[in-house]
Amino acid sequence: MDSRRFPLRFVAAAAALAAFPLLGLLGTACARSGASSAAGPDPSGRPAPADAPQDGKLRIIAFGAHPDDCELREGGVAAKWAALGHKVKFVSCTNGDIGHWGMAGGPLAARRAAEVHRCAQILGIETEVLDIHDGELMVTMENRRTICRLIRQWKADIVISHRPNDYHPDHRYVGVLVMDAAYMVTVPFFCPDTPHLAKNPVFLFSEDGFQRPNPFTGDIVVAIDDVIEKKFACVEALESQFLEGGCNGGPHLWPADEAGRQARRQKVREQFEKRFLSTANRFRARLEQLYGPERGRAVRYAEAFEICEYGRRPDEAELRRLFPFFPER
Amino acid sequence: MEPIRVVVFGAHPDDCEYMAGGTAALWSSRGHKVRFVSCTNGDVGHHTQSGGALARRRRSEAEKAARILGVQTLILDNHDGELLPTLENRRAVVRLIREWKADVVIGHRPNDYHPDHRYAGVLVQDAAYMVTVPFFCPDLPPLPRNPVFLYAEDPFLRPVPFRADLVVAIDAVVERKLDALDAMESQFLEGGCGTDPGSLPKDPAGWEARRRKVREEFRAHFAGRADRFRRELVKTYGAGRGRAVRYAEAFEICEYGRRPDEAELRRLFPFLPRPRRRGA
Repeated sequence: MDSRRFPLRFVAAAAALAAFPLLGLLGTACARSGASSAAGPDPSGRPAPADAPQDGKLRIIAFGAHPDDCELREGGVAAKWAALGHKVKFVSCTNGDIGHWGMAGGPLAARRAAEVHRCAQILGIETEVLDIHDGELMVTMENRRTICRLIRQWKADIVISHRPNDYHPDHRYVGVLVMDAAYMVTVPFFCPDTPHLAKNPVFLFSEDGFQRPNPFTGDIVVAIDDVIEKKFACVEALESQFLEGGCNGGPHLWPADEAGRQARRQKVREQFEKRFLSTANRFRARLEQLYGPERGRAVRYAEAFEICEYGRRPDEAELRRLFPFFPER
Repeated sequence: MEPIRVVVFGAHPDDCEYMAGGTAALWSSRGHKVRFVSCTNGDVGHHTQSGGALARRRRSEAEKAARILGVQTLILDNHDGELLPTLENRRAVVRLIREWKADVVIGHRPNDYHPDHRYAGVLVQDAAYMVTVPFFCPDLPPLPRNPVFLYAEDPFLRPVPFRADLVVAIDAVVERKLDALDAMESQFLEGGCGTDPGSLPKDPAGWEARRRKVREEFRAHFAGRADRFRRELVKTYGAGRGRAVRYAEAFEICEYGRRPDEAELRRLFPFLPRPRRRGA
């Protein structure tokens, strides 16, 4: 192993299995100190880690495959974090330039970039679109480095991505690339041009419906009822995708007259309403655990996340610190 | 009897030693032939050192560990943190398995926390079966039989947890395994890439204390493996001996290699006890 620190294996083991007795010792003996780089270069030759921001704000970066994926999967929780002053960034790993039935290439990429910038304003976050062709994202070392640098530059506490099993190859490879950046973001001499992180972030997968090889687990389920209108506003802002129907749509979906458009907006809203409702219903038991039975039962809209085994494994207390939305126990 | 031939693929110089150092020593003590291959040179695996100098240091550590364990060792010159499942790498792994005429191949599972571990696991899986195909890498004779491919233990649960098909008591060689890990000073004594230098000892007495502490932590860790797989140990070694085993290594049989029956497993792992007849 080794671009790894020695105790990591044990720490990972501890998180995954209950049966690791020697953990306490290793954990204290070898845990990273998280020394600040503010004091300048370390005379020992160790590259300094990135400065940890001292503003008490969480830093979250989410990677989606296309300009609309992050908005749909974590737009609600992003708005909730942003409302509390935490820093959220969405990254689309492709420019979405074949995601329409009637337009393609540069003009579509530019249009979709404008759509996600509009969403970022609605949600109160930052957004970035990588200039990689839609449908052509691959697991390369160049892309691994890009993702690693973005996570480091954002000084992320939390990283969100797709799972590596999903219907679209770009979704899957985003999942793989982000998993492959987990841990490596802490290795000082991997991408030494960008200061490494002193702590491995918590890596999360956003919800999907796929069953093989294993289904998604709703480890964290967040009620988004109070920000749902912002999420619906994003759906509407992603006009090329949802109103016009994206690559499988057609001219019939988005008529020229205002009455027809209003009807289409209403229909799309109802479709997404069902989708966001279904997440709350799918993970109702977890919602009741996190919010208490009464509040948990009342939640209408939710977003769900699974904790990736390759990032830091937060305990219950840290989860509540990272997701400051759940009521006190 | 022909010696059994085993090749172990790890991602970094220290993975084979950690995963299978005990079982390797059990084989080599009986005259069987074991080779460790590190798929990367480990050149970002330290908090203050990197590049060629670190790769050379880690190679010499692996060579020292190999002498302690009685195995051969080879470090592939791929950068640490950059292993990918390319066709070039698949060919390299296939050729190494063929050249070693392996009966048993051991590697990582393709789910593990480090990308190099995962891709080393994928590369070894991708070599299974292909090592038997005559016109794949036709520059080397194919193996007449697909080897038995094993995964070494890890704690990861998704998409499926590790399953202990084989659990080996390493009590007889545990000190040698601990010596081998002790020889990998850049990693275990100095803490590899993740240690804060400020936490490291300042004087020789401090280093000596740290060395002892690391050794005892590893000892407890391998004892933990025996506890995790106690049920399997009892099944393999019988109730009395199985309960008394203190240190273990565990392996899962990969579906893509040859699927050995009980008799063949006992031949390939000659240090396991013969199965007791019913009622015996």
